[in-house]
Amino acid sequence: MEEILQSPSMAKRAIWLANLRWVAIGALVVATFVSSRFLGVHLASRQLYYLAGALLVYNAALYGLLRWLTRGRDEPPSRAIGRVISLQISGDLAILTTILHFAGGIENPFAFFFVFHMIIASILRSRIESYIQAGLACVLFGAMVILEYTGLLSHHPLEGFAGHGLYRDGIFVLGSLFVFCVTLFLVVYMTTSIAQQVRDQQEELELANRQLQEKDKLKNEYVLRVSHDVKGHLAAIQSCIDTVYDGLLGPLNHAQKDMIGRAHRRTAQALAFVTDLLKLTHMKMAGKVEISCFPIRQVVAKAIGAVKDRAEAKSVSLTAEISASLDIICGEQLLIEETLENLLFNAVKYTPEGGKVRLEVLDQGKQVVIHVRDTGIGIPWDEMPRIFEEFYRASNARTVDREGTGLGLSFAKQVVERHGGQITVQNNQAGGCTFTIILPKGSDRSIAQKTVL
Amino acid sequence: MARILIVDDDPDIIEAMRVVLENRGHQVDSAFDGAKAMEKITANKPDLVILDVMMTTPQEGFNLARQLKQDCKTAQIPILMLTAVKQKTGIDFKPEAGDETWLPVEGYLDKPVRPDVLIEKVEALLHKA
Repeated sequence: MEEILQSPSMAKRAIWLANLRWVAIGALVVATFVSSRFLGVHLASRQLYYLAGALLVYNAALYGLLRWLTRGRDEPPSRAIGRVISLQISGDLAILTTILHFAGGIENPFAFFFVFHMIIASILRSRIESYIQAGLACVLFGAMVILEYTGLLSHHPLEGFAGHGLYRDGIFVLGSLFVFCVTLFLVVYMTTSIAQQVRDQQEELELANRQLQEKDKLKNEYVLRVSHDVKGHLAAIQSCIDTVYDGLLGPLNHAQKDMIGRAHRRTAQALAFVTDLLKLTHMKMAGKVEISCFPIRQVVAKAIGAVKDRAEAKSVSLTAEISASLDIICGEQLLIEETLENLLFNAVKYTPEGGKVRLEVLDQGKQVVIHVRDTGIGIPWDEMPRIFEEFYRASNARTVDREGTGLGLSFAKQVVERHGGQITVQNNQAGGCTFTIILPKGSDRSIAQKTVL
Repeated sequence: MARILIVDDDPDIIEAMRVVLENRGHQVDSAFDGAKAMEKITANKPDLVILDVMMTTPQEGFNLARQLKQDCKTAQIPILMLTAVKQKTGIDFKPEAGDETWLPVEGYLDKPVRPDVLIEKVEALLHKA
């Protein structure tokens, strides 16, 4: 059977049903109490209270069974859960019939409650099973009213509520039973047909999603291949140009030096672009990050070291603060290092001379929170949502530096998300912006689980 | 000066490096693949080998380096390894990892190598050796 719900939500529904039953048991007790004490309805109260007690035991057992089935699992066994749901529905039909028997039989309008079970069966279980449950309800309810009619089963009248004697009226009993059964089967028919439609659509969506993933994978492989190839050529071109540019093959005049300088710069740009694209694509294709545990201080020091000279050259002050309590975190060290370096590098690049770049690495229990604050040009607010997109560069960034690849932040986002973290950006009130990374400190296991796709 | 063997499957890269190194007075020889390189190394032991990681097969550079380091006749020749994208070549930079991907080569450089960086690294290695 094709399940309409994925197994985690099936499990949730099954527990939801059990929880509803607690409420129903409470309602049964209250309704019995109120009807018999205050409304002057004569009820077989004692039997109904016994029933409520039996129901408590039954529900506790079901609840325990469900907890046991779902305990500590992300993917509970959907077949078993499905069977428990079927069992719950059939059990409820029998219990409802018994309650009705002790409370007026066919004269009790609560017989409508069978409809709920039909709806639940139709949505959660298969079409065939839903019809079987409807049949079961008809048989149980029919047997009860017919046995009461024939006197084989005693009738517990709802004195003070319905005109007694109706249960002995053959036409009324048969007519009601007929309408009852037709109603149940119609409910099942309507609900299952709608549920089927939803199921079909879901299947189509899943198929489309799988195809998309397949295409995306092909695209990544293609990009990887092409950029790897192009990079080989560019590296060779760069090496050859360098020998001329550095004057190793003889001195150049001013015009030659200028022209070869242009070629040199453009090749370097193209190389940087292709290298970033390669890194990003590798990142996307890698199933998981390679986890090791390392001191975060070391990574921060390396990243700061990588941009220090550049900051000094621009007289941008570069400061860092690390919570004293921070020590070891787990993740892919090289990637985290590169991400920090990327953000610091950007901050320095887009901060005018005399500005400030500040790195804060804070300990927040199970997470590390990293802020990279600058007093730079900021990001136009309407471009904020697009800043992490591949190839996207903010309009003001393009005026500062024509050469950026537009891939650095996409890479950072990929890395952070691979580690189960988050990256966000905000403009500061005083100018400039702050990138914030929230990274789980992680353990070998927790991150590995999150990143297996 | 020193005798240097460049092992790379890209002739243009070899030519460019040759110009840079010969300009510094070094004597440069080259090989396009692992087998040819092994032949040249046994025939005429160089002072330094510059080795590209990715050749015809992605592992060829590694295999050659491992072979050289395991043979006591060639183990002391310093190797400068050229890599394309450093974190994706499988090189583990931490010696404590201790698995077979860790290679005791003397230096790594990212491709393409700037002439001044190449000279600096090569001469540092030759000086040490």
